[in-house]
Amino acid sequence: MRSSPMPFRLFAPFLALALVAWPIAAPAQVTNEDLARDLDNPADWLSYNGGYEGWRHSKLDEITPGNVADLRVKWVFQQPITQKHETTPLVHDGVMYLTVPPNEVFALDAETGRGLWHYKRQLPPKIIACCGEVNRGLAIHGDRLFLATLDSFIVALDRKTGRVRWQTEMVDYSEGYSGTHAPLVVGNKVIVGIAGAEYGIRGFVDAYDVADGRRLWRFHTVPGPGEPGHETWGGDSWKTGGGSIWVTPSYDPAANLLYVGVGNPGPDWNGDVRPGDNLYTDSVVALDADSGKLKWHFQFTPHDTHDWDAVQVMVLIDREFRGKPRKLLVTANRNGFYYVLDRLTGEYLQGRAFVKQTWAEGLDDSGRPMVLPNTDPSEEGAEVYPMVAGGTNWMSPSFSPVTGLFYVTCREGSSLYYKGPSEYRPGTRFWGSMFMNEQTESNWYGAVRALDPLTGRPVWEHRLFQPAWAGLLSTSGGLVFAGAQDGWFKALDAKSGKELWRIQLGGVVQASPMAYESRGRQHVAIAAGQSLFVFALP
Amino acid sequence: MMRAAVPLLILAAALAAPAQHRDRNPFSAPADFQEGLRLYRLNCGVCHGMEGKSGRGARLAVRKHRHGNSDAELFRIIQNGVSGTEMPGLWMDEDSIWRILLAVRSFEVNAGEACVATPGDASAGRQLYAAQGCAGCHTIGPEGGRLGPDLSAVGLSFSREQLRTALAKPSQDIGARYRTVVVRQGGKAFRGVLLNEDAYSVHLLDTSENLRSFLKSEVDAVEKPGSSLMPAYDGLSEADMDHLLAYLCTLRGAGQGGASQ
Repeated sequence: MRSSPMPFRLFAPFLALALVAWPIAAPAQVTNEDLARDLDNPADWLSYNGGYEGWRHSKLDEITPGNVADLRVKWVFQQPITQKHETTPLVHDGVMYLTVPPNEVFALDAETGRGLWHYKRQLPPKIIACCGEVNRGLAIHGDRLFLATLDSFIVALDRKTGRVRWQTEMVDYSEGYSGTHAPLVVGNKVIVGIAGAEYGIRGFVDAYDVADGRRLWRFHTVPGPGEPGHETWGGDSWKTGGGSIWVTPSYDPAANLLYVGVGNPGPDWNGDVRPGDNLYTDSVVALDADSGKLKWHFQFTPHDTHDWDAVQVMVLIDREFRGKPRKLLVTANRNGFYYVLDRLTGEYLQGRAFVKQTWAEGLDDSGRPMVLPNTDPSEEGAEVYPMVAGGTNWMSPSFSPVTGLFYVTCREGSSLYYKGPSEYRPGTRFWGSMFMNEQTESNWYGAVRALDPLTGRPVWEHRLFQPAWAGLLSTSGGLVFAGAQDGWFKALDAKSGKELWRIQLGGVVQASPMAYESRGRQHVAIAAGQSLFVFALP
Repeated sequence: MMRAAVPLLILAAALAAPAQHRDRNPFSAPADFQEGLRLYRLNCGVCHGMEGKSGRGARLAVRKHRHGNSDAELFRIIQNGVSGTEMPGLWMDEDSIWRILLAVRSFEVNAGEACVATPGDASAGRQLYAAQGCAGCHTIGPEGGRLGPDLSAVGLSFSREQLRTALAKPSQDIGARYRTVVVRQGGKAFRGVLLNEDAYSVHLLDTSENLRSFLKSEVDAVEKPGSSLMPAYDGLSEADMDHLLAYLCTLRGAGQGGASQ
């Protein structure tokens, strides 16, 4: 067991709190039905995006455009964090479950922010994580929480104590693998993917039994010999093909399909060593939740050489499309295009750029980009829009059933893309040169945009000083909450984008907001800097 | 016997010691440097910049590194990373790390190349420095202005040619910290260097060394021409330029420290 019980002197204040009898509800079991109706029970927040649909919408409506000016800090939870705080907490029955980087978990009283228990994973000294030793959150089911770790374990914690119930090693982390995203529970399975494409891994999505941690299936994001899609990799390049999973999948219970965004091929910026389309990198894959079998796939960026992985949350909506009711999957991709797909078949229906892009003439009838010449990385450097971090990135978008709009954090600007040699050595960077932003950063800016979900056309824009790494939350009160690189956290009118409230949090906001209810009042939470901030009306 | 044994023991220890315990870089050949530069660009440049000048990682084109300066210290940093930062350790064989260190050292050489105090007369240069009002913006030791870079050790950090360019064409290669910003408000123009900016406010040190804060909602314009506040000293006679350069090359003091550049 790698868990480390908290020393008593640290635990004592928490214990004292428990003894003075704050009436926190006894943790009820979280059922599959609870997870399926997460969106309709806005008092709790039971999965990374607040529901299988990937909407990141709260049906709480106490905070409105009319009263949001009075919103104030209810409590703050600080930790000595030196990494990026990218987490989204969960809330169930008055208890908040919060991850803190690198791999710590706290249970807090959601009303006061006071601690109930703490779990700290003892990580090996050399974690291999390209983009920070970060964690984005937990999954919850029954009396357990599930954490993917930087040393590539999936860990089940007891929800009352934080003690480890089981842990399973997904893969040997020392070859460059790491777990950073919040898992998702579907049925009796914890769904979790692995990252590490910057180190020549071969990515996968796994399902583990919630009861004992037994692995039930594995889907390789880079198909092996004999599997469909293998032919899209020249030579042995599939062995180091990448295909990370960085964010939580979405799920359609009726179709029993998981929708998983797959990351970039490796090496990132030199495609010469991996001729072909490099499936299923930069794709969304629809997987049968029972078997992990691929139902369909759609590749946004075939043979990517710009690191534009499909790390976005897939948003599932049912809408009439060209006169026919359809089950849709919509997503704004890192490559700068917004896509509308049929989520039962993977058929491409519609797409258009949602930020400035200079690499493709457009999308053809099948949704494949018509790539322009001289946009590949070169030894001299090729300037291409969007920037390497993409038109958007892992931060969550939001869909509001009230306004019917899709909201996305946009990153406007270009990068200089260089190509260089690439050589694979286990556990070391496998990049194929690099990108440079120094000469292009002065033209960068960010925006929160509302798009028509069926066309991708912009409806409104709220300009940000810099490209942001913060996600969005829409609420049935008619607001969109957004964070910014310059430390501001804001409430925008969901219909117009008008800024109605803001607060300076004193640290970069690089997480996505969530909302919950405590003692009948709406609360909004966001991680920023070294802290988690919780807001409520007075 | 003892006399003979001690050197033998030292030799044996040296042979047995793992390479990371070497105090000095065992490589110096051009081919090793080229390989180190290649590895640097593959592994380090993304954060530290192609020439070690910037990025999200620390600037390497400096005279003194923040976390250690000796070969052994820098080797350790490259191998193990810097705890509490995003600098990861490199899982590489030791020879490769030593070669990367050659590349890192080459950036320093650019920064610390010998600044030759001839031709020119340093004491005449010192008088020129005073007469031209350089001290209005630059600090040497405890004395001087705050708008421009501290020149206390400029003779260690820059070559004579770099200093000549900086004097004649001050806007050609200017750090972001020293770029001009102009805030226009109610018919007035406030000129200075940028201290901070976000979506709603802008903060500068103006040319009279006042700290000034503005709400963007209350100003008419914020302009960033990208140039230096320093006038171009391209009208100096060749002799005066030599005197001034000679003086600057003698500046090798400790300086006042302060904000990193």
